[in-house]
Amino acid sequence: MLDTSRYADLFLTESRDHLAAMSEALLALERSPRARGPVDAVFRAAHTLKGMSAAMGHDAIAALAHEIEPLLERVRRRELQATRALVDVLLAGADALEAAIAGVPSGGLMGTDDACRAAAHRIAAFEGVTIASSAPSLPTPAAGISAVALEGRLVRIRVSSDVPMRGVRAFLIVRRAESLGRVSALTPDLDALQRGEFGRGFSLRIVTDEPRDAIEHALLAVGDVEAVSVDGEGDAERALEPAAGAHAGVRRHVRVDTRRLDALMNLVGELVIARGRLERIAGAMESDDLTQGVGDAARLIADLQAEIIASRMLPVAEVFERFPRVVRDAARQLGKNAELTIEGGDIELDRSVLDVISEPVMHLLRNAVDHGLESPVERAAAGKPLTGRVTLTASREHASVAIRVRDDGRGVDRERVVAKARALGMLDAAAAPTDDEIADLIARPGFSTAPEVTAFSGRGVGIDVVASTVRRLGGAVEIISVRGEGTCVTLRLPPTLAIVRAVVARVAGETYALPAAHVVTALELDRRALSGAAAAERLATRDGPVPVIRLRTLLEMEPDDDTLKQVVLLRAGERRVALVIDEVVEQREIVVKPFDAALGTAPLFSGATILGDGAPALILDVAQLAAVGHRVSAGGPRPSTGAIAIESRQATDSRQVTTDSTVLRRPQ
Amino acid sequence: MIHTVLVCDDAIFMRTMISDILSQSGYEVIGEAETGTQAVEKYKLLRPDLVTMDIVMPDMGGIDAVREITKVDANAKILMCSAMGQQALVVEAIQAGARDFVVKPFQPSRVLEAVQRVLAK
Repeated sequence: MLDTSRYADLFLTESRDHLAAMSEALLALERSPRARGPVDAVFRAAHTLKGMSAAMGHDAIAALAHEIEPLLERVRRRELQATRALVDVLLAGADALEAAIAGVPSGGLMGTDDACRAAAHRIAAFEGVTIASSAPSLPTPAAGISAVALEGRLVRIRVSSDVPMRGVRAFLIVRRAESLGRVSALTPDLDALQRGEFGRGFSLRIVTDEPRDAIEHALLAVGDVEAVSVDGEGDAERALEPAAGAHAGVRRHVRVDTRRLDALMNLVGELVIARGRLERIAGAMESDDLTQGVGDAARLIADLQAEIIASRMLPVAEVFERFPRVVRDAARQLGKNAELTIEGGDIELDRSVLDVISEPVMHLLRNAVDHGLESPVERAAAGKPLTGRVTLTASREHASVAIRVRDDGRGVDRERVVAKARALGMLDAAAAPTDDEIADLIARPGFSTAPEVTAFSGRGVGIDVVASTVRRLGGAVEIISVRGEGTCVTLRLPPTLAIVRAVVARVAGETYALPAAHVVTALELDRRALSGAAAAERLATRDGPVPVIRLRTLLEMEPDDDTLKQVVLLRAGERRVALVIDEVVEQREIVVKPFDAALGTAPLFSGATILGDGAPALILDVAQLAAVGHRVSAGGPRPSTGAIAIESRQATDSRQVTTDSTVLRRPQ
Repeated sequence: MIHTVLVCDDAIFMRTMISDILSQSGYEVIGEAETGTQAVEKYKLLRPDLVTMDIVMPDMGGIDAVREITKVDANAKILMCSAMGQQALVVEAIQAGARDFVVKPFQPSRVLEAVQRVLAK
């Protein structure tokens, strides 16, 4: 028997791609039930999955995929309408396939085979709405599927390698074939052909009385055709199989284990640190040769780093593509109408950032449908279109990538948030929070306004969890909501995680790093520009007063003495804060290492790094500092100093752990 | 028999180039048009064996001109001259009745091959 273990990884990644394509096509089919493209796409995905899983010995998966084909074939032949119920039963099948495939690495999850069989049974038993047999058959050119339409003679066509506009040439060839008879099958389908997505050749089946010579001659005469073969007897599988060098026009890719990419990233990170050390040494030695050599090496390292970072970038569409399904399912189960629009799918993010934000974005989408959009009745009463719009956008903004989830629903319910915050003791009875503060409250840990727990959102997991995930990535969350008009949540993320520019600051002999993206400027502290009581100090700046945070006080170190101090003006979203430190040491690139702060502590640090001299430094979370600054200046409670003290001590402990290791770990 | 050709393009440079390629190979360029409207008028007047048609032209575009010309003469032989990246427009032109296409920048051999193919049909 064939040893399939070598193919297991390939099977997993490829079958996920096909499942994603299947779900996407099913949703497209639901939107336009008469379209042919989606039916063919689902069919292809099911067909490929069947073949792959059968080869791997996953019989239940293959059997389920097999059941999907005849049902689609009836849709394709216009015997069956592509109703919502039909799409539902097929989506349920896709879910069962997904669950079963997900269980493959662990030797099959409990019950997934049974789920597959149950789904296969439902699909086989699906009655659906039949269409009277007088309905017209498919118009040609048929973007049909050769596996099911075997009538006609098999014609394989090879185009010249340097053909301009290969897609249009293929289109011309198909048209010429249609002038000879009825084209009953086309592989790949006409859409793909027109886009030029085929290798050197493609195949079709034609029902015609013309002799073989005439077919060959006619098709060769279209131009830029290298060879035509007319088999008549060729089998379907060969017709389905893409010609050699399929997708030659598409970029070439190699599948690489992501762990290998992570290892490369870590290595280049260490290299960057070593470069910093070398540069310091070379600077101290005052040798021109050494400085030049080190400079050359440094440039090469920078190039290497840029290449590795680029190789880790993925378009956000990779994870966005499954979200239409998420929104649709949420809307259907909640009895709402929702339509998701996705923009900016080609914006790229580091793979690890993308992995981490996938869940939060999905959560925001469900939130938008669940809490944002009104029921159709409410929307009608409010004079809004019955179908709610949810927009998911990715865009580049300065050095970061912004991901926005916007809905045109009811907006955040202010009163409910205030009531809940009071009940939770987060807000004084007399307080009248600003919009900013409302947004802040929603993002606080443990806050959820859902009156009851639904299947999608509300299980105590709210925007607070999204916010902390984004902060951990060094990003920031911004919520804007207008009552009755909708809510917009913006996640601002660094496009890559691992290496960022930072301002390194010293406070009481310790060094801390501040992500440069958040640093507006650094200046000498002019005490005359300070105002307000010690607890609510403000610094006058050109753009108005800014809340002041003294890092020594915040971290419970020795209080500021009277020596000259420096201040770093920071910005996180719309908020600014002035951070008083001892002095700015330098601005440099740092390699961010994850830092696992203890739960329940104020998340003042977003990560840690190793500096050029080998010393570790914690990276301050600017968004969090800004939030603290605003709470303090608004007269609110200071963050629990106890929690900070714990974290501060922990930070000191981590330093000891890391002096001889470049990996930062949370002490056990 | 010498085949006659109507060359339609809003750029004089392109018209000259196509005319040169064709005349050097024994075709007779009997007319030129700068706009889609002119192309249709001159087709009616001259009834050439072949038309080379730019896609983007002022007042009436090449695709509409193809539609108008094939209304007048269903057997009109029209060769589209397309810039790179206009795949969808070329497909539209073919659906409107154009017989074949060449892609700018032109290689004389490709233009001549396409002309021969269109005239042979």
